[in-house]
Amino acid sequence: MQFFYSGITSGSIYALVAIGFNIIYNTTGIINFAQGEFVMLGGMFIYSMLYMMNIPFVLAFPVALFGAFVLGVIFERVFIRYVKVKSELNLITITIAGSIILRGLAMVIWGRDTLLVESFVPSKAINVYKGTITTDSLVVIGISLVISFLLTFFFKKTKYGKAFRACYEDKIAASVCGINVKAVVMFSFGIAAFLGAIAGVVVSPITYVTYSDGIMTGLKGFSAAVMGGLGSFWGGIFGGILLGVSESFFASVFPSGYKDAMAFLIILFILFFRPQGLFGRKKATRV
Amino acid sequence: MKMLKVKSLFVNYGAVEALKNISLHIKEKEFVALIGSNGAGKTSLLNAIMGIVKPKDGEVIFNDKNITGFPPERKVKEKIALVLEGRRVFANMTVLENIEVGAFTSDNKNFIKRLKFIYDIFPVLKERSWQPAGMLSGGEQQMLAIARALISEPKLLLMDEPSMGLAPLVIKDVYEKLLILKETGLTIFLVEQNAAAALKYADRGYVLENGKIVLQGKSKELLEDNEIKRAYLGKEYKEKWER
Ligand SMILES: Nc1ncnc2c1ncn2[C@@H]1O[C@H](COP(=O)(O)OP(=O)(O)O)[C@@H](O)[C@H]1O
Ligand SMILES: [Mg+2]
Repeated sequence: MQFFYSGITSGSIYALVAIGFNIIYNTTGIINFAQGEFVMLGGMFIYSMLYMMNIPFVLAFPVALFGAFVLGVIFERVFIRYVKVKSELNLITITIAGSIILRGLAMVIWGRDTLLVESFVPSKAINVYKGTITTDSLVVIGISLVISFLLTFFFKKTKYGKAFRACYEDKIAASVCGINVKAVVMFSFGIAAFLGAIAGVVVSPITYVTYSDGIMTGLKGFSAAVMGGLGSFWGGIFGGILLGVSESFFASVFPSGYKDAMAFLIILFILFFRPQGLFGRKKATRV
Repeated sequence: MKMLKVKSLFVNYGAVEALKNISLHIKEKEFVALIGSNGAGKTSLLNAIMGIVKPKDGEVIFNDKNITGFPPERKVKEKIALVLEGRRVFANMTVLENIEVGAFTSDNKNFIKRLKFIYDIFPVLKERSWQPAGMLSGGEQQMLAIARALISEPKLLLMDEPSMGLAPLVIKDVYEKLLILKETGLTIFLVEQNAAAALKYADRGYVLENGKIVLQGKSKELLEDNEIKRAYLGKEYKEKWER
């Protein structure tokens, strides 16, 4: 069972990253390969505020998230909006370029060393059914759950959430309903960055922070999103948990060095046999 | 009073000239139809009025205000609404959610009152309010598309081929709803391939061919026009001579 508990912890992170991918995929149809960098930046922001500026966590956490949100919006304004030919290939290439730039900046600002972040809650291992789970992991799982429910509430119940869903379905129809589609695209980058940064902050006491973390986190989150079906919100959550658990099961059987290969095996498998993902449905299209 | 004025409008898609020097007007509380065959430029005209495509030249004046460059969301604020070709309801959202999205720019105060008004006209939408819009029949989706446009309390309703893909009885149903809306003071401008249906209900009509307006007049006059009978109503000259 132990592999299950650690799997759920990393899975929660992948789920948050996968939702970030899905939000942007739904509004723009592209994969934002800079998503992982926002996770890294979340960790960097919280590290800087806690240890370089001595800001207490209760303040530093929201500021880090807000900072990431603003950065996500700027990212869209700088890299996405002014692309002349908005083909998917062009846009995806640009997000890759953007991710390289963000990573490079992070290296210049925070250096190449791994930065230590201490637990936000008193660190303790709790005995659960046939295994233990740390308080740090509980924070990760709890926050991911809360975020999932808040997002569901946002998309299902609020005026702006419904406007987002309308844009996912049909941008022109949304615009004639009075929705500013460009603003929605911009905000979806902001929200995706915000979610990434939440993942980055809550996981930082477990994995610590290194400037190059974003690549692997991004790819794992992407695998989770593909697994759950690109664009599917709950699919991303299930995909994330499933990936986390299978990865950690894999690591309990094979040498853990091969753990990362699991995600890519899964991606290949899904792309070959079930390209719409486990829970994905084809987008409803009419002429 | 002339509510909408389109002055010398040109629309190009690259080298394709879709609209060439279009001028027309719609008076307050009028029901005007523009007819034209497939590819004539009907959708381009409505899209240019609404701001979905940018005209190359020309002006769109609404209640004496030049609104030519405004994007669609600002047109909605100016109280113009467009029912798109092919209805384009949000298939995975419920009927009520579709209507709520239509009310995005409106304030919440009037929503309930407005919704009741819409449900009174389209009772079927009330019955189906919790169903995903994708489950509705074509006619019901057209009603929903109209409802989604109406909830923003437009002064001018633009419609792109409301009869497309619908059975004759359903078409009649849709047009009769439009007459009810006209009674409430709404100004309606629609474009149609189905000239027979549109001209039967509209006060006035324009005929669009290859991006140019070739004819205009009262609906009754247009329905009597030999050229229109031949080209749009599927009646041959022969038939006419035989009478
Ligand atoms: N997005 C577009 N790109 C290029 N050509 C277009 C586009 N939309 C319409 N056209 C062309 O413009 C002309 C008018 O099209 P449209 O306005 O859709 O006509 P209608 O609605 O009357 O069928 C047609 O020749 C069509 O092929
Ligand atoms: Mg058309």
